Amino acid sequence: MNILFAMERRLDAGSIHALANYARAGRKFGHRIALYGNPDPGYPEVPFSTDLAGADFVVFIFESRLDWVPGLHLAYLLTRTPRSRRAIVDADGMYNPLLLDEDYDRNHGSERDQRRWLAAYGALADRIFQPSLRPQQPGVSPLPFYGYDPRGVIAGGVGKRVDIMHLGHNWWRWRELGGRLLPALERVRDRFGDICFVGLWWDGPPAWAAQMGLEDAFRSDPDRLRALGVRILPAVPYRDVVATMSAAHINIMTQRPLFRRLRLLTSKYFEVFQADTIPLVMLEHEHAAEVYGPAGRELVLCDDIAGKLRDVASRPWAYREYAAAVREHLAAHHSYERRVEELVGSLAGDLPAARTG
Amino acid sequence: MNLLLVSKLARSARGINTIANYVGAADALGHRVAVFGEREAGFPDLPFSLDPSDFDFAVFVVYMPSDFPDLPYLAELLDGVPKSRRVIIDCTGRYNDTIRVEHDFNHLEKMDGHQSWEWIEAFQSIADRILQPTPSPRREDVGSFLFHGYDPRAEMHPFRSASEAARHWSSSDRKYGAAYVGHNWQRWTQIRRFVEAAATVSPPLGNSALVGWDWQRRPDWAVQLGIKGCDVDPELLDRLGVERLEPIPYAEVRGFLGNARFSPVVHRPLFNRLGLVTNRTFETFLADTLPLVMLPQEMAESIYGPDALPLVPGEDIAGRLTAIIRDPEPYWDAVLRVRAHLASQHSYEQRLSELVALLQR
Repeated sequence: MNILFAMERRLDAGSIHALANYARAGRKFGHRIALYGNPDPGYPEVPFSTDLAGADFVVFIFESRLDWVPGLHLAYLLTRTPRSRRAIVDADGMYNPLLLDEDYDRNHGSERDQRRWLAAYGALADRIFQPSLRPQQPGVSPLPFYGYDPRGVIAGGVGKRVDIMHLGHNWWRWRELGGRLLPALERVRDRFGDICFVGLWWDGPPAWAAQMGLEDAFRSDPDRLRALGVRILPAVPYRDVVATMSAAHINIMTQRPLFRRLRLLTSKYFEVFQADTIPLVMLEHEHAAEVYGPAGRELVLCDDIAGKLRDVASRPWAYREYAAAVREHLAAHHSYERRVEELVGSLAGDLPAARTG
Repeated sequence: MNLLLVSKLARSARGINTIANYVGAADALGHRVAVFGEREAGFPDLPFSLDPSDFDFAVFVVYMPSDFPDLPYLAELLDGVPKSRRVIIDCTGRYNDTIRVEHDFNHLEKMDGHQSWEWIEAFQSIADRILQPTPSPRREDVGSFLFHGYDPRAEMHPFRSASEAARHWSSSDRKYGAAYVGHNWQRWTQIRRFVEAAATVSPPLGNSALVGWDWQRRPDWAVQLGIKGCDVDPELLDRLGVERLEPIPYAEVRGFLGNARFSPVVHRPLFNRLGLVTNRTFETFLADTLPLVMLPQEMAESIYGPDALPLVPGEDIAGRLTAIIRDPEPYWDAVLRVRAHLASQHSYEQRLSELVALLQR
């Protein structure tokens, strides 16, 4: 099958890493998977194509922005690809009612925005997938979409310069980090050396945040981070994520509240297990077990975060074993080869999308 | 005929004045023209519609990529209007192979990321008919349609004779000797020639004004991208006493130009090569100012008629300005003749009728 993805290219965010993996895994099965557009040397692992005539399906990946498709491309994509051969991956849960989580995180700024998104999806395609095991809306098919690349696992023995790392942008994450993680870190600070947050906007919002009414999404407290001795490091390109995580003994993965509520999977769910690190995930136990297998429960940071961090510091070998068990589970159930099969099957209409094992 | 115009509107750029005039001309001729989109507070006098089924044709007025609507609107438009009832007016010659004239281009991949083939494929995907506002399109599959026009009712000062106009022009106090309203995009070479020449005229013309984006300095993004299309020399302009002002809304252009004795009519180098006309080609003749037509002579003659030639200075801009100041009447005679020519050959009623006829073919 020839599949063309259409998505916003971002070197240090979004789904571009998954795309590179789809292209690689697809080749094994004789599928041609590429990103729509002219070749871009900034993404050497990603094949590009503009051959719509040769594409069986065009799959649009939408994250938090609707207007990333340039009008010229949109005109070409819409007129050269019949609707029956278009599909949407709704990565950020925009195909939902207006959801306001904890009076903080939200998928849309207003009901009007939400209607516009739904109209856009309705105009583009009949098939909508969400990277969730159980989408909440009728008409949305589950498609985990993001996956695990066992070949990309960094072997042990990488020198550790950092004790605890959080790699991800400050995008609707402050309430969880400021309200739950930082108080725990404050209690156990003496047990750990270097702690760093890698990503954008931990040291302040972008200039355009206020203009777009998104101050809350980028809220942070750099003074508090400094007082706690947390270093802020710049974002890294997708191809360096796993290697960067591997520089830390422990990596903590968090999700914005909305994603947790919708149980949306992301690249980070899997990248953190490809790294040579002890991954700790701020997810609900049931959800962690569902994705990662039974050992995933042991790696959850949920109730007593400070206690869990102390325990990891005391018994790192035990957590390395849990992580190893999760890696086996991920290799068996969440490889990109499996993801490609699921995608191809669901596009062809002969395979349920979610087979999580 | 009911026409739905599809374009990104801006109050001080691109086709807004022309579009507003089409709405007025449609009322006069019993047609209906609306702009595709939700009502915009900045354009209270324009009718908007999101329902393409109410219209006979969708007319895409394209200058730049953002003239194509965002989602979901473009998808709904393409679903709601068959290709045979869509037409594109390509205002900047995008639907050509890449053409470079000096440092002006019809495709600006560095700025918008789009290569030549993308424009061509997209246009061919959207519409069966593509029109360009030039008397002589280069491609065989493009029709000629000048699009922009002239509204004689909007002349700021409809003089009855050249002598009356010349007297009024010579005796009235004006804030500026010369003024140009337009953005600094691929115009510096010509504006520089004009202001340098104007500074040598004796007796002095007085201060000049440039109104629009990026006359203050070359913007940072242009420096970063290596784009020379908005070059400018602020020190030279300071030395010559040229004021630089922010853009003004389209409805204020004619009034503002009346503050100046002269106003140059210039086109981008690319437009001169392709013969493309703009709104300002016509609009400057509405103002109470003396237009100096800095266009290739052949083009000036084809648009304005043979009477425009006294207003075309050729290489000797200073000499022509001096001659006009000494004896303005023959030049005002030329202006009035050009106005009459534009009123009879290029009115918006005619333009709209031409478009309707083209679409009915």
